[in-house]
Amino acid sequence: MSEPSVTRPRRWDKPFSLEAGSENEMTDTDVEELLQLTPFCQIDSSGFKRSLSLQEILKNDARIVGFDDGDIIVRRGDWGSSAFLILSGNVRVELERGESSLPDEILGRRHRRMKTLWESFSQLWRNHREAEVREVAEVSGARPAMNTRLTRGRTRIYLQEVSAVLDKYRTARLEPGHWFGELAALGRTSRVATVFSEGVSQLLEIRWQGIRDILRYDTHGGLKSYIEDAFRERALASFLRTDPLFQECSTELMQRIVEQAEFYTFGNYDSSRPFKELNSNPLRITETGEPVIIREGETPRGIVMIRSGLARISQRYYQGRRTVGYLSPGQVFGLEVIQSGMKASVSQPCQTQLSAIGHLNVVVIPKELVEEILEQQNTTGNNAVTEPPRLSPTCQTVKIDDEALLGQLIDRNYVQGTSLMVIDLDRCTRCDDCVRACATAHDNNPRFIRHGPVLNHFMVPSSCLHCVDPVCMIECPTGAIYRDLGQGDIVINDQTCIGCAQCASNCPFDAIRMVDIRDSRGNLIVDSKTHAPLTQATKCDLCIDQRTGPACERACPHDALFRVDMQDAVQVEEVFAR
Amino acid sequence: MIQQLIQYRIRVISFLVLVTLTLSVFWLYSLTLSKTAFASGILLLCCILFLAAYQWRKKLSFLSLGTATVWLQFHIFVGLMSSLLFLMHIGFRVPDGMLEFALFLTYCFVFLSGVLGWLLSRIIPYRLLSRGEQVIYERIPIYYRKVREAVEQLVSENLKTDEENAVADFYQKNLREFFSGPRNQLRHILHSRRHRHQLTQQVSQILPYLEEREQEAMKQIAVQIQLKDDLDYQRSLQSVLKTWLFVHVPLTWTLILFALFHTITVCAFASTSG
Repeated sequence: MSEPSVTRPRRWDKPFSLEAGSENEMTDTDVEELLQLTPFCQIDSSGFKRSLSLQEILKNDARIVGFDDGDIIVRRGDWGSSAFLILSGNVRVELERGESSLPDEILGRRHRRMKTLWESFSQLWRNHREAEVREVAEVSGARPAMNTRLTRGRTRIYLQEVSAVLDKYRTARLEPGHWFGELAALGRTSRVATVFSEGVSQLLEIRWQGIRDILRYDTHGGLKSYIEDAFRERALASFLRTDPLFQECSTELMQRIVEQAEFYTFGNYDSSRPFKELNSNPLRITETGEPVIIREGETPRGIVMIRSGLARISQRYYQGRRTVGYLSPGQVFGLEVIQSGMKASVSQPCQTQLSAIGHLNVVVIPKELVEEILEQQNTTGNNAVTEPPRLSPTCQTVKIDDEALLGQLIDRNYVQGTSLMVIDLDRCTRCDDCVRACATAHDNNPRFIRHGPVLNHFMVPSSCLHCVDPVCMIECPTGAIYRDLGQGDIVINDQTCIGCAQCASNCPFDAIRMVDIRDSRGNLIVDSKTHAPLTQATKCDLCIDQRTGPACERACPHDALFRVDMQDAVQVEEVFAR
Repeated sequence: MIQQLIQYRIRVISFLVLVTLTLSVFWLYSLTLSKTAFASGILLLCCILFLAAYQWRKKLSFLSLGTATVWLQFHIFVGLMSSLLFLMHIGFRVPDGMLEFALFLTYCFVFLSGVLGWLLSRIIPYRLLSRGEQVIYERIPIYYRKVREAVEQLVSENLKTDEENAVADFYQKNLREFFSGPRNQLRHILHSRRHRHQLTQQVSQILPYLEEREQEAMKQIAVQIQLKDDLDYQRSLQSVLKTWLFVHVPLTWTLILFALFHTITVCAFASTSG
């Protein structure tokens, strides 16, 4: 009997323009027209591989999308996986931040409702006995109405009263030729502003894989410098101001810093593959493949500030290297070396080495400017040359006394966690009160398994870490897995999860489980056409709808289970020193 | 963490102050030659009901009733205070009535089982970490089956057509029972490794009489013996942690029933007892 055979799936089997939400397939004529526009006409196409030409990238990784007046193009807080170039018409970008920005209701975003006291109490008897029960109406798409309309074959959320929005909220107009969304797409961060169409507009949307390849092969670096300029212009100053070092900088000095700052990218941008490979590597050779940013013994050209990703600080130890700390976004490397150099009036070499873990974006502020800041602070009485500036917990290098444990935490990539679950096995009596509390809070379905790798006397159970760079969200086709705007936790919306399992296969920690869903009588819910059971993704949601926060943590009577934000140096040091 | 330590110390100090005040009030009250038994009895009943409420707190983990850690600390504090109240209540004598004696015994068992449980919860986690893989109790039978199947596979691979089946004979005689389920529970609880040493010795003793292939199989079986013994160790100690609650909790409810009956009786006869 012959084996069933199919053609191996390839990258561009299904172009972006043929995916759901597209209007027309990208044609060669469309591509030719695009190549006449800035910045594509400035790109040197000779640097591209024949199999990965600029034309093919535009044809397969881009699509032309039209919007009507008031259609929301991107929403603040949504996950960014594509960038937009305005081809015609105008769009408006919201400039307000915080509480004065467009409310969630207008943006068609439902607030995750917290359970009332009675609803919490009634969980005792209202929880289902069957596993993974869902309301059939929710799964089948019968939901309360929100501001959506069918535009060009696609259901879109729109603003009902555009003129009222323009009157009430501060916005800026973006005109043809302008890019937006590229920083979120490349930095794997959420959108920082809402953008909507003002009148009829036509946009070119490019998914991040396409932008990555253009950046990689464009020898002229036109798009790269455009993106860097955009970051420099729109976000660099406010990013730098998050560090105490820059908070008291004069406007003139800050302007020079913004102009002279350099941007660098290290490591592999692709998905979660490096982490998975690292986790499956029994020898855990951590140094292999980590690009070095500053070598030990080298005189730093300036300070390195992490924009996105994580960086390892290591030191020579006999014939190898020992991890002594790591840096998360917003943290700085090299400041102390420059300070000691100023004190000694001679440039000092770095005592440690900085390397990129996975994909890393950094900003380098030249040494001369840093010295100028320190001198300025010194003259204003802060005595910054001799005393290091007081760093907030978020700006400190994360260190633990037990360097072997620190190395393991980095090697296994647990440093990604903003809410890493850790169990101190010296205290844990294996009573499973944590699992029971989790089950009670989730309709009798526990969302973690009290089992996982043991590092020293700490167990890291199989539970969602709520990563700082959640790769699980990248390929979700419906946005069902999203970052909650209130707390920043990563949660799954049961109403929009289609059970494609992209998130589960992308998660490097196997913390997302696909489960067969049932109705309240315990019957499996099946697809009406294929009769195959429907599945949905489930994971820890930090009890986001419960009044008390994570039930597991509060239920532990021996103070053995705790959640750690691995970006918080003070918390990490305290927790792992116990 | 430092903040937690400070909070813990504040809780301990305030509790000690409370206990000292309560006992002082009782002592001053006794100086007036009034009977303190009724007051101490009511307070003791309140303490017992508060101690039993800890079980309910566990079920209501989703309500803002304080963390389980704080509840456990107060459970221990109030439990200790109840012992002092109990001694004062019985006048430092063993009661002679039948109901009172039953109540006395039940309280003693509940208190002692509580102290034992506290000690076990401090000692056993350290010991569990010292040996074997950290396994979930309910999954141990699955691991048992995997180990047994691995050993039986090794034995069946070394079966010969003639009658000299050394590995199979050895397995049948010395190991079959060991691999058939949980073994040496008491020895594990007492932290003894004698049985393991004996089995390892038996394996070493038979090795010179085996062919090279059989020797290799026996060495792999020896690894499985260690794995199985570690599983036994984990199971035994985790069983202790789980079963002491099956003693402590039912006894607590028995104590509450006895105490309520005792209270009703005392109240009913209060006017006649003077």
